[in-house]
Amino acid sequence: MKILLRLAARSAWNRRFTLGLMLVAIALSTTMLLGIERVRHEVRAGFSQSVSGTDLVVGARTSPIQLMLYAIFRIGGATNNMGWDSAQALARNPAVAWTIPISLGDSHRGFPVLATNGNYFTHFRYGSNQPLRLTQGQPMAGVFDAVLGADVADKLHYHLGDVIILSHGMGGLGLTQHADKPFRVVGILARTGTPVDRTVHIGLDGMQAIHLDWEGGAPLPGVHIPAEFVKKFNLTPTSITAVLVGLKSRARVFALQREIADGQGYNEPLMAVLPGVALDQLWDVVGIGENALLVVSGMVVVVGLAGLVAVILASLGERRRELAILRSVGARPLDVLLLLCIEGLGVMLAGVASGLLLLSLLVWALGPLLAQQFGIALQPAWPAAGELQLLLWTVLAGLVASLLPALRAYRLSLSDGLTPRI
Amino acid sequence: MNSPLFSTPPAAIDLRDLQFTWPRQSHPALALASLRIAAGEHVFVSGPSGSGKSTLLAAIGGIILPQRGSVDVLGQRLHAMPSRQRDRFRVDHIGFIFQQFNLLPYLSILDNVLLPCQFSAYRKQRALQQGTSLAAAAQALLAALDLAPALWQRPVTQLSIGQQQRVAAARALIGRPEIIVADEPTSALDSDRQLAFLDLLQRECAQSGAALVFVSHDLRLAERFDRRLALEQINGAARAGEAA
Amino acid sequence: MKTLYWIGGIVAAGLLVGSGVRLLAHSDAQAAPAAALPATPAATPGAPLAGAVPAVTARADAGSTVPGVAAASNGQYQVGDQLKQSPTVTDKPYQASGKTVNGYQEIAWEALIPKDWDPMAPFKGLKLDQLTDDDPRADAALWKAKKYWKDAPVDASMEGKPVRLPGFVVSLDREGEALKEFLLVPYFGACIHVPPPPANQIIHVRSAKAVKNVRTMDAVWISGVLKVERSDSSMGASSYSMKAVTVEPYTAPDNG
Repeated sequence: MKILLRLAARSAWNRRFTLGLMLVAIALSTTMLLGIERVRHEVRAGFSQSVSGTDLVVGARTSPIQLMLYAIFRIGGATNNMGWDSAQALARNPAVAWTIPISLGDSHRGFPVLATNGNYFTHFRYGSNQPLRLTQGQPMAGVFDAVLGADVADKLHYHLGDVIILSHGMGGLGLTQHADKPFRVVGILARTGTPVDRTVHIGLDGMQAIHLDWEGGAPLPGVHIPAEFVKKFNLTPTSITAVLVGLKSRARVFALQREIADGQGYNEPLMAVLPGVALDQLWDVVGIGENALLVVSGMVVVVGLAGLVAVILASLGERRRELAILRSVGARPLDVLLLLCIEGLGVMLAGVASGLLLLSLLVWALGPLLAQQFGIALQPAWPAAGELQLLLWTVLAGLVASLLPALRAYRLSLSDGLTPRI
Repeated sequence: MNSPLFSTPPAAIDLRDLQFTWPRQSHPALALASLRIAAGEHVFVSGPSGSGKSTLLAAIGGIILPQRGSVDVLGQRLHAMPSRQRDRFRVDHIGFIFQQFNLLPYLSILDNVLLPCQFSAYRKQRALQQGTSLAAAAQALLAALDLAPALWQRPVTQLSIGQQQRVAAARALIGRPEIIVADEPTSALDSDRQLAFLDLLQRECAQSGAALVFVSHDLRLAERFDRRLALEQINGAARAGEAA
Repeated sequence: MKTLYWIGGIVAAGLLVGSGVRLLAHSDAQAAPAAALPATPAATPGAPLAGAVPAVTARADAGSTVPGVAAASNGQYQVGDQLKQSPTVTDKPYQASGKTVNGYQEIAWEALIPKDWDPMAPFKGLKLDQLTDDDPRADAALWKAKKYWKDAPVDASMEGKPVRLPGFVVSLDREGEALKEFLLVPYFGACIHVPPPPANQIIHVRSAKAVKNVRTMDAVWISGVLKVERSDSSMGASSYSMKAVTVEPYTAPDNG
């Protein structure tokens, strides 16, 4: 057996150019297959980790998934706003334990700005019921205070006391800036691995203050209210994006959801979303695309395998003399079959391993970019159980595929014997 | 399983009433009444193409099983062995030299020579009697076959045909198998090298006591042999007309 | 000639496999509505609210104006369906066997309703057959009844009982991709624009070990010790909760 391994290795090395090309093809297809699987699971886990212990997300009656995506994950376009009095009515509801009103819309150098109140720091949970923690400073107190997520502070090199200017909208071009009302960094949050990390947090009053002299997304011409005078105006928000609600008893969530949907006690159409259920619905929708992608990568693997089989089959023609020599020194036809199988399987394994390496390299190189855009943390890691299963099936497929040239070689060596008719 | 070594084996090769037809052929390729080669005997086998040479070599080597008759090699009844055993027997006791492309291009010269020892523990053991290590035994043979040590490290593709054939001969001879089968080994060589090669081969066979079956169409070389066989005369199938 | 046979054979095999797949997919889609129909009329006697008023809660989605709700389904289940038995055994809905598995007794959702609670109490004294059509008293009584059912009390005697029962999942919190906390409800579609189950038909479940591959509206068995969560009187009824020891996918028991 050892001699067969050595022969297979040496023989493959002798044809390393063509086999190498096939190895690259297999590596790329493995990377694609595994990459999709990994991103799929990481995205789902990452999204699930972003909000914990929140019973309902209440907002204007739009699409539940869109509300979740925008309010929790800061992805996608703004939804309609809901009124502040609805938020207050919610807070007064006897079934409700706490509420966190949030308002989105502005940005700072590409990072979204979230306006909220102190409840955010006391009640918001993520991951396995973990609360937010400040590594430096404290939550917002003054109108122009800001608390940064870990990634914002890291990427932009901010410290306590730094002054930042917010931009209107998510453009990031800095064209529509609230330059006259700068904010001061008073706190920096610990890393959470969720979209909180790349968010700039300000108070609801701060959000109201910077839009005092704005109307419909642009500053009113000629109107200018300097920062030091904002306190003279009423800074309670008029409208917000959504309210995160925590109930005293989680089992009551349906009743409250029903109440909100029926509109009793609220003077605008509202919608209450169960985060867990909305996410499940999101995955149902996305799942179709994911499955399609998986099927495509499966086909790419098959194409790579077909190429490998073709290359080995083609080489058999010129290897008939070689097989005759092997038979003359005592190789059985079965040994010849094993030789070809080992060669095919070897290239397969090497290709899969290279694919894994390539995937880790890509994750290492592009991970930070993904984290910045979507708050999803991808780490180079050993393949998880599900991925290992995929790899196993791929290798098995390679083994079965390499049986084709192996069987052909078996029959050739049987019929050729010592004197192949080349 | 090794073949048992009798003190005086009756004959190296003993073929009787042999008949073999290749699959999907209508006439037999080989029909021999009797062919006997004694131990240590050097036999020259000639015959035009189509006279059944490759079939004869396949029969001796245990590649094929005759439909009729018996194949006894070194006292072992090859026709009664399962194919796995025949493959083992072949590497244990027979060394082959082909006309050309004898060597595996991806192995070194020494690895090529030692190939039979990788497949046969019997040959390996006997080779170790020729030298302190397998490599030493191979090198001794190469030297005896007139290959300079400077050549030993070269890749196979850089050797001339003559040099390749001598390496092939070394591979056939390593471990001192009892039978050497050479199928037109000189046909690709220059005419002035052919006799030199034959000399080397016969000298080594005589030294190890191996029987030599030398198949060739070059009758000049036949003079060096005590015994000459014309296959077209002893092969009933060839005489009867079309053979495979 | 041989090549032609090969090509023909492959084409024939492909057609065979393709038609097989088509038949399978077709029969799946057909079986779902077919099996659902016998379930729904039988579901009403089982539904805790219906009692002697099947007309009021014939289908849980009755009166829903949201388009597509009635058509919403999850393969075998339609909105409002209760859990099924194995279709080879019977097409009656799931009935609790009362057996004890690993120390947890199998119960039905009805067991969670206090024995002394009468779902028809709001209609007492109202003779429906004597009212004229569109009588405002009937609507008022219905409105009262709905509120009564919403605040249905729990059975305090169920506190501490080790039980096992099947239901549908409503996801709450996950740990990575695995589900850690969820609500268990008796019928399918309980959160898709249909009237929610009353308070004593919802169990707030925390799983000891996060479960993988469970999504909202999947059917599962849970086993654990039932607890009654007290609430302050201003809020209305208490509710059930459980720390589930096991959460398994629902397979219809072969009770026959």
